[in-house]
Order: sequence, then C-alpha cells, then structure tokens
Amino acid sequence: MSATWEIARKDMRLRVRDKSLFIWGLLAPLGLAFIFNLVFGPAFEEDFEPSQFALVDQDGGPVAASFSQLLSELQAQGLLEIENMDEEAARTAIEEDELESYFLIPAGFSAAVTSGQEATIEVVGNVDTPTSSQIAASIASRFGEGVDTVRLSIATTQSGPGGPYDPQTVAAAAQTAAADPPVALAQEPVSERQLDPTSFFVAGMAGFFVFFTIQAGVTSLLEEREEGTLARLQAAPIARSSILAGKALNSFLLGFFSMAVLMVASRYLMGSDLGPPFPVAVLAAALVASAVGIMGLIASVAKNAEQAGNLQSAVAVILGMLGGTFFPVGGTGLLSKLTYISPHAWWMRGLNDLAGGGGIEVVLPSVAVLLFMALVTGGMAVFILRRKEQW
Amino acid sequence: MPVLSVEGLKKSFGELVAVDDVSFHIEEGETFGLLGPNGAGKTTSISIVAGILEADDGAVTVAGKTVSTKKIEAKAEIGLVPQDIAVYTDLTAAENLAFFGRLYGMGGSDLGKRVDEILDVIGLRERGGDRVKEYSGGMKRRLNIGIGLLHKPSLLILDEPTVGVDPQSRNAILESVEVLSQGGTAVLYTTHYMEEAERLCDRVAIIDHGKVMAEGTRRELISLVGTSDRISLRAEGDLTAAANAARSVQNVGEVIASDHALEVMTPDGSGVLPLVLNAVTAAGINVQSVEVTEPDLETVFLYLTGRALRD
Repeated sequence: MSATWEIARKDMRLRVRDKSLFIWGLLAPLGLAFIFNLVFGPAFEEDFEPSQFALVDQDGGPVAASFSQLLSELQAQGLLEIENMDEEAARTAIEEDELESYFLIPAGFSAAVTSGQEATIEVVGNVDTPTSSQIAASIASRFGEGVDTVRLSIATTQSGPGGPYDPQTVAAAAQTAAADPPVALAQEPVSERQLDPTSFFVAGMAGFFVFFTIQAGVTSLLEEREEGTLARLQAAPIARSSILAGKALNSFLLGFFSMAVLMVASRYLMGSDLGPPFPVAVLAAALVASAVGIMGLIASVAKNAEQAGNLQSAVAVILGMLGGTFFPVGGTGLLSKLTYISPHAWWMRGLNDLAGGGGIEVVLPSVAVLLFMALVTGGMAVFILRRKEQW
Repeated sequence: MPVLSVEGLKKSFGELVAVDDVSFHIEEGETFGLLGPNGAGKTTSISIVAGILEADDGAVTVAGKTVSTKKIEAKAEIGLVPQDIAVYTDLTAAENLAFFGRLYGMGGSDLGKRVDEILDVIGLRERGGDRVKEYSGGMKRRLNIGIGLLHKPSLLILDEPTVGVDPQSRNAILESVEVLSQGGTAVLYTTHYMEEAERLCDRVAIIDHGKVMAEGTRRELISLVGTSDRISLRAEGDLTAAANAARSVQNVGEVIASDHALEVMTPDGSGVLPLVLNAVTAAGINVQSVEVTEPDLETVFLYLTGRALRD
C-alpha cells in the first residue's frame, strides 16, 4: 500500500503541476456548462410554458359551456392559457403571433349535438407553432370522442339511433367528457424526475470531462514506459501490482476530486443542484471508477501513449454523446438500448432518479451497473497488461 | 561469494535470440564491462539482471538472492541507471531522489540526509530545489546516476550512462564510477565506447548477437589477438647502440632502428618504458619524443567478430 500511495502521490503532484488538470477537470466543464445553459437552457424551459389559446364561442349552448369548462380546468393545471374572444380578434391575434391556436364553436353546435347531427369544433392554428396546434386539435378531438361515447350510450337506452335526445342528458354527458381532461398526461411525473437545465448541463459536463481528467492519469503508464521511468519503477523493490494500483488510485482520486470541485463551484457560481450530497458522491465515485476501468482497458491495448490518447478521446466522446451528457437521448429501439452501454447514461439516470426524490437507495441501481462496468473493464486491463512482456 | 552471479542466461523475443547463454560474475569493488555494439544484447541482459525482464532460462543472483521480476528482496540490492534519463522533469532533483528513496524503503530524517548527500555527490546541491526540466543535459545525467546510488546498492548497473553527454560531464561520470568502485561497490557497466571500458573496467565481456565472445581482463583479451605494445622513440645519436641497449631490457622483444627512430616491441609497453628510456639514454642518444601504442579492445572486437564496434 505504501508504494501504491507513493506512486499515486507522485503522479498527483505531476498532474497538479501540469495545468491540464485544471483545464480538463474544472475550467472546460464549468465553462461549457455555463455556455450550454446560457444558449440552450431557455429552450429546455420552453417545453413547460403553457400554450396561448382562445375560445370563440358562437354557440353559447350547454355543450359549448362544457368545452369551455374543460379548457378552464386545463388552464388551472398550467397546461394552457385560454381567453374568450370573437373570431376576428382571434384571427388578428394569430396573425400577430399573440396567439398559438383558437377553438371556434359555431352557432348551433349544442343543438346539433343534442339532436344527433354532425357537429364540429374548428381549430385554427398559428403556422409558426405547429405543436400547439396539434395539442389544440387533440383537446377538441378527445372532447368530441367523450361526447360521442356518452351520446351513444344514451341513444341505446332510448328508442334507437339518431335521437331525438334529451338536451339535459347530453349536456351532462358533455360535462362528464370534460371532467376527463385529455391532456393531463404524464407531464407532471416526468418533469419531477428531471434535473433543471442548469443542473443537467453541469452534470453532463462533469460526467463528460471526468473521462478526460482520468485519461491522462491512466496513460501516464505508457508515457513512463516511453520516457524510461517505468524501468526504474519496475527495478525498485516493490510489487508490480503497486505500479498499476498507484496509477489507478491517482486517476480515481483526481477524477473524483475534480468532479467534487466542479459540482461545488457550479452550485455557487451557477446555482445548480444535483441532489443530496451523499448519494451524488456515491454515484460520482462509481462513475469515476467505471471511467478508470474503461480508460485503463484502452491504455492496455494501445501501442503507445499517443495512440491511447486518441482512442480514449474518441471513446469518451462517443460514450458521452450516447449517454446524453450534451442533450437528453430519448427515442426507442436500438438507440435507447445502446445508451445502456454508456456509463454517462447511468450517471445521468441516477441523478434524474434522485431529482424525483429519495436518498441513496434511489441511485443504487445506477451505482451497481457502474461498478460492474469498472470491475469488468479494469479486470480486462490488468489481465492484458500482465500478459504483455514489457508494460 | 560474488556480488553478482549470472549463469546461462537466455532470452528470446519471438524468433530473435537477444541473449544466448550469457554467464559472468562480479566481485565486490569490481567494475565489469559489457562491451558490444548497439543491439548486441547488453540492455536485455541488464534488464534481466535488474529484475525488469524475466529470463527464458538461466539464473541471476545478487548478494546471494535470486533475481526475478516477482522477487523484490534482491532488487533492494541493485541500483539501476538506465540508458534513458529516467527522471521526472516536473519534479525537483530532491523530489525525484526522495520519491525513489521511499520506494526503496527509506524514510524520515535518514532519507533527507541521504538526499542531501547524493545532491552533494552529483554536484546539484545548489539546484536541488529546481525542477529538472530547467537542468542541462549533463545535470540530468548526473541526477540519473544519483538516483541509482541513493540506497547504497551492492550492485550498481549503469547502462550506457554517457550516451549523448558532453566531454566534461562524461569525464565527471567516469570519475564518479571509479570512486564508487574504490568504495567497494560492484559495478556492471555497459558501453559501446571502447575507451570507457578500458578506463573503468577490471574485466570486460565482449558481447555480440547475444553471445559473450570473450571475457577477461583487458590484458587477457588483448593476448587473444597476440599483438604486442609498440614503443616509438624519435631520437638522435648512435641508434644502433641504443637498439642493443634496449634489447637488454627484460620483457623487450624485437627492436628496430631506423634513421631517427627506434621501434621497441614489448608485451608491456607502459611497464618497460622507464627501463627502456634509461637504457637508451645511457647508450648516449638524445630522445626527442616517445609514443606507446597498445592494441586495444577495438582490435580485440574486430578480431573476434570481424567487424568494428560502431558498425
């Protein structure tokens, strides 16, 4: 242990004197997180801004009133903002980009519904906000489906299809349909399980750049071989495993320390909040361990330090992108499955789980996967190095 | 008991036989040279002796302890000075020494004192707190040697320590090796510089293509070639009488007189020179210049391998 610690301490001293530690470990991730947050942060927040809708009620009947009630409830949930206006004002507001969509309930709508005739709610959308128009259409469609379902059941209990229906019964059915909000969806739980944009970018950059911080520590084994100092270490009366352990310990400590400093600095400089310190620290330690293993495995198969550096950089970028350190990686199918090979994905997943509440138990699955990655890749690295004549 | 004993060492890298049945030993206070061209197998041999490489066959013991890559006891008896300048340039000389000292089990005030001693020995006391990257090449070389001496090894291995060194630093390095040898340290010195081997080494093994071609003292090796030393005298006077006088000196062989010179052949040029000078001056000639030419290890290497050391 003494030799391991001496080698780790010597390497740490060399890295601290080499300014690259501060660049890769602190300045680059902090700077990029700040820039990304500045540029892309508002775009993240836009997803949660309510759509601006208007209701043009030319009918004034009970079914139209039910639809209006539905919209009011959605507004109360913060999903949209609704304003009553006449058609001309709504059209002008759309043209002037003050409105994203409006619902037009034509005169005779309630009467048509209660008499079993075809009735239509018209949705007029702003061409620049297609997503909002789709949301508006979806709301109208779901309301219509609800009314049809209830009306059909009423028709069945009366004298046959085609009506006539009791207007009060149909109005009650419409109210029932309105009481089943079509777009409450899963917005709330999803948003609760995500980091805020600032914390997301800090977490992403911390996870991304820690691989580069660790890269230099692991590659120093190859550099020492090229510079001749490895021969001196191998000739010293210490176990060879101490040399590898010293390199790994130095890489781990520097990686963990740089992440810790980055997270504390970003908390005070940018207001980020990755979660409760202890679970975050455990998760970070597991991520750093996996990074040491992966970077070590690459170094073990490389011919020289330059080749190792190039390979490690490429792998770190691919895993980082795949793991959603720059932007959340969604989707389904192969891509979503591929993200699971990235330790960054488990780091981000652990933090997102933590954002949903809870303590250490929430991050344990991610920690377990990361430690498994560390053991497998680190074990392979040691195995390969031991088979080599001169390392 | 020899400090270093190497018996039947063999090492191959794939098809290439780097070391082929190499054996030698070094006694306390003895400097032993491995002389051979680049690629002869010198560095591979000392890598095995230092416990960096594992031999395919054969045995190495240092101070009675078996050397291998996995046995650390014997390594504590060995000081290695690699051919490359194996120091950390972002550390100071004192930090380099202290780091390697701790790896050799040193610590506390003893380590501090020893670091200061070594800095004195290698002439870097004043610059010991400066980072090595600010040093000249010669200063780095001296530190490279200092690290090898730090833990007072029984066996010091120097692998071509003067490659790329200016003449002044080279001389300083050779002098320090001589001092170490006089102090009782066994030294294994590899070089392809014939002059260094002749100056430093009590015994030399000539190695080529992984094989030891011959081993012995300089005189023993030269005797393999069968050539004598030549004493050339430029002189005026009765050179025939002087030649007869020279022939009367013990250990003198053939003597050739020409117009203004005498050529005296002897197996021990430096040994008989004073006697020859006394004899010829007593014969009445006026000696103007003297030159002793000896067959050297280059000649021996050429004789044994059919090519020059620097080929």
